[in-house]
Formats: sequence, C-alpha cells, structure tokens
Amino acid sequence: MAENPHIQRKMHRTAFACVGLVVGMVGLAYASVPLYDLFCKVTGFGGTPVAVDGNGSQVLDRTISVRFDSNVAPGLNWRFSPETPEVKVKLGETTTVLYKVTNKGDKPSTGIATYNVQPDLAGTYFSKLECFCFTEQILQPGETLESAVVFYVDPRLAQDRDVKDLSSITLSYTYFPSKGGKPVAEVTSSTTPISQ
Amino acid sequence: MAQAGRRYSHARAFPDAFMALCHHIFRSFGTPMRIENARRSVTALSTAAVALVLGISEAWAAAGQPSPWETGMQEMVTELGQNVSNFNTYLTWLMAAICLFVLALLLVIVARFNENKNPTPSKTTHNTLLEVAWTIVPVLILVAIAIPSFRLLREQLVPPQADLVVKVTGYSWYWGYEYPEDQGGGFKFDSNMVTEDSARKPDQPRLLGVDNAMVVPVGKVVRVQVTSADVMHSFTVPSFYFKVDAIPGRLNEVWFKAEREGVYYGQCSELCGNGHPYMPIEVRVVSEQQYAAWLTEAKQRYASTDSSAPTKFANAQ
Amino acid sequence: MAHAADAAHADHHDDHHLPSFWRRWFYSTNHKDIGTLYLIFGFTAGIIGGLLSIGMRLELQDPGLQYFSNPQAYNVFVTGHGLIMVFFMVMPTLIGGFGNWFIPIMIGAPDMAFPRMNNISFWLTVSAFALMLCSLFVEGAPGSLGFGGGWTVYPPLSTVGHPGPALDFGIFALHLAGAASILGAINFITTILNMRAPGMTLHKMPLFAWSMLVTAFLLLLSLPVLAGAITMLLTDRNFGTTFFDPSGGGDPVLYQHLFWFFGHPEVYIMILPAFGIVSHIISTFSKKPIFGYLGMAYAMVAIGVVGFVVWAHHMYTVGLSLQTQAYFVFATMVIAVPTGVKVFSWIATMWGGSIRFTAAMQWAVGFVFLFTVGGVTGVVLANAPVDRYMHDTYYVVAHFHYVLSLGAVFVIFAAMYYWFPKITGYVMPEWIGKLHFWVAFIGSNVLFFPMHFLGLSGMPRRYADYPDAFAGWNLVSSIGGYVFFAGLFIFMFGVVYAFIRKEKAAANPWGEGATTLEWTLSSPPPFHQFETLPRVIDTHH
Repeated sequence: MAENPHIQRKMHRTAFACVGLVVGMVGLAYASVPLYDLFCKVTGFGGTPVAVDGNGSQVLDRTISVRFDSNVAPGLNWRFSPETPEVKVKLGETTTVLYKVTNKGDKPSTGIATYNVQPDLAGTYFSKLECFCFTEQILQPGETLESAVVFYVDPRLAQDRDVKDLSSITLSYTYFPSKGGKPVAEVTSSTTPISQ
Repeated sequence: MAQAGRRYSHARAFPDAFMALCHHIFRSFGTPMRIENARRSVTALSTAAVALVLGISEAWAAAGQPSPWETGMQEMVTELGQNVSNFNTYLTWLMAAICLFVLALLLVIVARFNENKNPTPSKTTHNTLLEVAWTIVPVLILVAIAIPSFRLLREQLVPPQADLVVKVTGYSWYWGYEYPEDQGGGFKFDSNMVTEDSARKPDQPRLLGVDNAMVVPVGKVVRVQVTSADVMHSFTVPSFYFKVDAIPGRLNEVWFKAEREGVYYGQCSELCGNGHPYMPIEVRVVSEQQYAAWLTEAKQRYASTDSSAPTKFANAQ
Repeated sequence: MAHAADAAHADHHDDHHLPSFWRRWFYSTNHKDIGTLYLIFGFTAGIIGGLLSIGMRLELQDPGLQYFSNPQAYNVFVTGHGLIMVFFMVMPTLIGGFGNWFIPIMIGAPDMAFPRMNNISFWLTVSAFALMLCSLFVEGAPGSLGFGGGWTVYPPLSTVGHPGPALDFGIFALHLAGAASILGAINFITTILNMRAPGMTLHKMPLFAWSMLVTAFLLLLSLPVLAGAITMLLTDRNFGTTFFDPSGGGDPVLYQHLFWFFGHPEVYIMILPAFGIVSHIISTFSKKPIFGYLGMAYAMVAIGVVGFVVWAHHMYTVGLSLQTQAYFVFATMVIAVPTGVKVFSWIATMWGGSIRFTAAMQWAVGFVFLFTVGGVTGVVLANAPVDRYMHDTYYVVAHFHYVLSLGAVFVIFAAMYYWFPKITGYVMPEWIGKLHFWVAFIGSNVLFFPMHFLGLSGMPRRYADYPDAFAGWNLVSSIGGYVFFAGLFIFMFGVVYAFIRKEKAAANPWGEGATTLEWTLSSPPPFHQFETLPRVIDTHH
C-alpha cells in the first residue's frame, strides 16, 4: 500500500521528475522565442534575410530581379517607399537601394520596421550587409529620411535546385507605430467597435 | 429571410444574440416568416433528393463560385488547380476504398461472428504475417500518395517568372489592391462587399460581389503578394486554387495563371472578427485588350490614392 | 490480458463509515467519487457546449442572419463551443472521469497516488469552467461581449482585435484547466508507474492504463507550452511585451508554432484514452483477448511520439518553405501507420469472436468505422497541396468532428453504457443504449458528412452567414445536429430510468470476456477496494 515508505519515496521521485519535466517545458516555450528568432536569422527560415558582415563571394553573370515592397501600418501617418520598385542584380553583386520615409502628420512620431523576403526559399540567399530594422525611428512633422539597404544575392542560389530558376525576389518592409511598451488595451484598437 | 441591411444593425452582441435566440425559438412556431422558411426548407430538401437521384449535382458546378448541392471541388481554371483537383479525386477514391474495406470487414464480423452464429470464440491473438502486412501495406499506400503530393508541392512553391505583380492588403474587413507602377499600374483601390441587394450586378451572388473587383489578364502568370494591415486574414480564390494568409509585418506570395475569362470569387479564410464573412474576393479575368482598357480607366478612377493608412471601414454605413 | 484469479476475495469493507454528503463530495479524496464528479461535470459542460453548437446550427440552417445580431456573437459561440468541448467535456470525461474511476482498479491499486491532489485537480477544473463562462459575459471586441477569436486564440486578433478583458478571463481559465490537467497527469504517471499490483508488469497492464500513461506524458510535455504561449499573449495584451507583436520585433507566426506544438498532441490527448477504452469493450464482447496487445500498446506510444513533430500541418498557408511543408506532409502521414495498426487490430480482435452486440459494443463498432472515415480524411488533409484548398473550410470541420465528435464522443457513450452497471450498481436496459446509438449514428452522420461537401465547394469555417449556394447542405447538416442532440435525452432518460428501476447489477454483467480487474469487484465497487492487493497470476497474449 501507499503507506510503505519505500514506495512512498519512489512515488515522490516520480512526481518530482514530472514537475521537472513541466518546468523544463515552460522554460523551452519561453526559450523558443529567442531560439526561433536566431534560427530564422541563421537559416533564412520563413524568408528572413541572412545578416552578413562582408561580401566575399564572386559575381556571377546570372541576373535576378529584386523587388522592393513597402507598407505602413495604420496609426502611423508616414509615406514610405523605395526609390525604385525593382532592380536587376547579378548574383554576388553588392547593391545599395534607398528607401525614403516621410512623416506626413503634424506631430512627431516613432516607427519601427520589420521585413522579410519572398519567396521563403530565397531567404537563405538574400544576404544583407546593412539595413534599417527593429530600431526605433523618430520623425519630426514633414521630416524625410533616406535609409539604405545594402545587400547581395548569394551566388550559391544558382546551385540550389529549388530556386536556381528563380527570376525575382521581393524584399518587403513594414513600418509599425512604436507602442513604446504600452499594452494593447491602451493602444487604439485596429478594429472598429461592433455597435453602430 | 434576413436582408443585408440588417446584418450590421443592433448594438450589443452577446446578450442580444442570446435573447434573440430564445425569442426566436419561442416565437418561431406559426409566424409567417418561419412558415416561409419551413417551406423553403422543404423545397430545398426535395431539390436535394432530386439532385441526388439524378446525380446531376456535379453538372451544376460553375467555375468561380459554389453551386447548390455541390459535392466536389469548384471547377478549376488554372492548370495547377486542375492537377490538385485530380489529385484530390485520386485521394478521395483511395480513401473511400479504405473506408469501404473496413466497412466490409465490419459487416462480415456482424454477420459471421455474432454469438448466435459463432458460439465459441477463437483464441487467436497473434498472426505475425498479418501484423506485418497491415504495417507494410499502409506504408506503400502512403508512398503512393506522397510521390504525387511532393511533385505538386514543388509545382506550387517554386514560382515561375511572373508577368504581373499585384499587391493585396487585408483590412478589417475589406481587401485593398495595389497595381505597382512598373507593372503598368500605379494605383490602388479598396474592394468592399456590396451590401445592398439592389446595388449588386446581376451576376454577383449575395456575400460574394464587391464594388471594385481585382482584374487580371487571361493566360498570364500573376504573382499575388499578400499582407495585412491589422489582424490576420487569408486570401483565397478556390477556382484558381490558392490560399495564402495575410499576416501583418510579413509579405506572402502565391502565383496563378487563369486560363479562362470569367468572374471568380473567394472569401476571407482566416477568422478576423465581426466582418469575417463579409470580405469576399472577386477576380475578373479578362482578355488582354480589356485589361489594357481597364488599366487606363482604373488609373483615372483610382487616382490620388496616396493614403497609406486608409481610415475607411467595411461596415461604415 | 491480465487475469486476476484471486482478486475476488479482496476484502469488501464497504461498511467503512461513509463520510457525510458534504465531506464525501466536496472534500473527496476517493478516486471513484472524484471520477463520478468529473463525469457529472463533463456531461454538464457537454450540454452547455452542445447548446452553443445548436445555436450555431440554428443560425446556419438558412442563409442570412436569423438569430445572431452580428457575426461576432456567432464567433463567440464558435469559440466557446470549441474550448468547452475540448477542455471541459472530452478531457474531464475521458481522463478525469473514466481515468480516475478505472485506472486504479484496473492496475490493482487502492486509490490514486496523491488523492488530495486529485481533489485539487477537480476543483481547479470547475473554477476554470466558471472563469470560462464569465468570459462570455465581459467585453471582448470593442462593443461586444465574449472572445470570438476561435479556440486557437491567434494573435493579432486576440490582442488588437479583442482589447476587452474577455480573453484575459479565457486565458486564466486555460491556465487553471491546464494546471489541473498537469496535476492530474502527474498523479496518473505516479500511480501507474509505482502502484501496480504485484505481478502486473507494464507489458501485462490493461490497454486503458497504457493509453492513460501515454496521454499523461503528452499532457506533461504539451500543456506547459500552451501555458507559456498564452502567458506571453497575456503579457502582450496587458504589460506591453511584444512576443507576438510585429511592431516590437515579435512574430505572430511563432504563436501558431507554439500553439500547435501543444494543439496537435492535444488531439491525441483526447483520442488516446478512447483508444484504450474501446479496446476493452471490443475484447469483452468478442469474448477474445486483444489481438496484438503489444502492437496496440506501442502503436499508442508511437502516435504520442510522432504527434509532437507534426504540428505545422495546421499552418500550410502561413507561408512555410517547400522543405518545411514537405517534411510536415511526410511526418503527418507517418501517423497513419500506427493508427492503421490499431484499427486493424480491433477488427482482428472481433474476427473469430463470439460477439454480443450490446449497446456498448454497438457504440464501439460504430466508433471503429467512423474513426476510420475521420482518419482517412486526415490523410487527405496531411497533403499540403490539397490542404491549401481545404484549409479553414468545412472539410476540416468535418474531419475533426469525425475523429472527435464521432470518435471520442462515441467512445464516451460506449464507456458510459459499458461501465454504467459498475459505476452505479444498476442495470440500464440495453434497448436504451441501442436506441441512443442509432439516433446518434444517423444524426451525427447527417450532421457532419455534408460538411465534406461544403468544404470541397469552398465554404470557409467560422462563417455566420454564407452565400446562398451553400444553403442546401447546411440545412441537411442542421437537421442532423438536432437529431444528434435529441439523442442525449435518450441517454438522460436511461440514467433516470435505471435509478428509478433499481435493478441490481452483478459484479460482472458481461460474462467471460470481461477480464480486467474492475469486474472482480462488486457493482458498485466498495468505497475502498484492494486493501489486500490482488496478485496477477495468469496472462496470455
């Protein structure tokens, strides 16, 4: 029976092992946030451009077009667009493209940008040397800022059987209004009230 | 029957719905409205019977929108969609065969191994050959599924060179379309569901027709890039076979090549709140000449749409 | 299967002074009493969840909005239906109810390992349900009550879309329900691993105990991930963190990964105990031991393990790369193999048997067929190319109701009719269970089969109003829903009737086929059983 001290001890050991498992899994759930981020950045998973320090690859003759897409989330009265919608680049060639952002409102506002590339498969090969992302940007009314994206398309793309015939890659940026650490409930809801 | 206008009225949601529910349940016996509904239901049921008996439900399937009593996929107008539809037919027959096989075994069991027919049960609990067989055979069936499946997957996800790029943004609760300047466009417009019955064009079904449809040329590879401005939505047109989630802060893309002119409908396919059923997608596939004409007209009609943060909402009255 | 030849003389001190009503049912530490409480609770929650679905079917019976003033209210019903059925009906009934009742008895233990913790689990579940019901009556989306973002609670609809406190209530409800389930899982694991009767090795353990062991591990590994994910959601909503908010570098897709890392094992948590129970019912009424016992046990282990690495098949449309989708297609289809082993082993158990088609057996055979139907549509959906068309359509709704409503729920009723005499000590006339079966079988198929057609023709899920072309099958489906629901009254009548009739049940009403330990005890079993442990002496499989 359960009163047996030996079994009692065994039961406690089992229970504590289970508790350990639970704590470990909660920890893993939280750890998944930075790990997922890291995983995406390293592998290009989910169309995340790979950040690199320098371009040591040779330039191939094969060209690919790179499109630039821009979005501004509601709540930020900014105009945001690339200087050109599309450039043709050689694989391995370092290219700089400027995005122009203007505050159209009459108050200073803060934005923060996220990005990804499409198709997903190209994320691994889209290497960025310099970009503006995840840093808060404050713009005064009417102020215009030019931000540079410096990138190259890794020539290894030509050897990947899934994407070697790819004709076009799109880099997309979205500017969000910075919430400044305010919880959702205090920020204006994006959906209209249901009552009319 | 509830008319479109009623849909957005009434203030409080839950208690009202609940009260309305109770109210209707108690009131529903004998009022003309309910009788009409009941009659409609009876008619619908008899139509169903006729359709099933004659087996004509497939014949009613029209491209671009669902048809009554349809039992299969909508007619596909892209090659990819046709391939998927064929693959689905193959899968359905395979799966139906498996179900019928299991059903047949169960019927044999019911007939032969009930306690009247078979008073002494066997004591068999092992049969290695049988156990290996029912592990291996399903594996083989799965391989027979996986090979065409992977081929189709590659066909979908490795995009061909696009002739046209259209940017689609999901809003609560309507779609915005943008034709980039270097693609012959340079304008964007919002596409709201037509709510008034009288305002719908004759070919637009209720809940599917929109005021400003997306227009693409026939036989061209169109790349659709999708994102969202608020919550997640999902952009889909069953007849073209694609479905892609619109996620804020992320651009997704799909491609299609419509091979037949016509009007094709889809509906938002990711729960997005109150207007979820009311943000349909309407794509008009037209000839190249008509497309060129539409571009010229659209450039004027949708001129001066430089606002990046639309403030209009689908249910504004 | 394990025979316990000399368990019958385990002493029957049911005259141990029974505690007072309040002490017995509110401070209960007795596994059978807690099991009974869970069964009553699960049934009550099931009625509430069922009424929500009747509300939905009424609305969908005809196109246009008839009963709901706006789609958001309908969405709240959809969400409530999903959450209640998953967390407060299927799980409490199968795991809390039948698990608590029969796991200790089947393994020859006097009670659960931690009886007081067992009590805490139950009352946490009740509190969670109270919070869940509260959430229906506080503001969610601006200007409306309740949370209407689906049981998956995807952000940003669950953050910016529902700024009101309804979801906070919902998250706390899930926290409590999750804590209750984790405590329950620890209890089951400890009990099964340490308190088996002498001679009962793991490989001689009844399959229901196996299924609960696997289920408990799934709970232990998956629920903390859900708890973590919804806690992040909670802090995103209320404390300005940006785990899933792109404006702070978060990613809403990560939430989906975390949710489905929990959500996919969760569906096995709901169906595995059902697998265990159905094995016993089939073996009992075929008067044959389980065919391929070890294969059955390890098939469940395999399903549990593989269930953890297939989650992204719920996310084929979020923009996953080719290789990722190909992997998840492959991994998901692998699950069909152990599931096939189980279905064919059940059939082989019946094959050559001398089957008595009692009510419980009819439900079990019905389950085998309907689960097969639900399983094969799962294989269809596993294929990303087809799923891209089916995703978020009624085809998916049909699929998971075939495996859960016609799977898990059918087994719940099979188990009710199977163990009713054991639990209550009274006999329920067979015709009641059989009538209920046929009503439910016809009703549920009329309800869910047309949903395949609706999905194929493109009707999206969670729609309060739909284009008129979908009207026909929706009407058929609604009629089936009413019939299915009406069947519940037959069951309720049966329970009341049995209690009025008071026909005493024998210790083993099912005859030679019923070989597990619960049938060696009186009906109902004594308040404390196995004060002398049974010794398992004879096994053959």
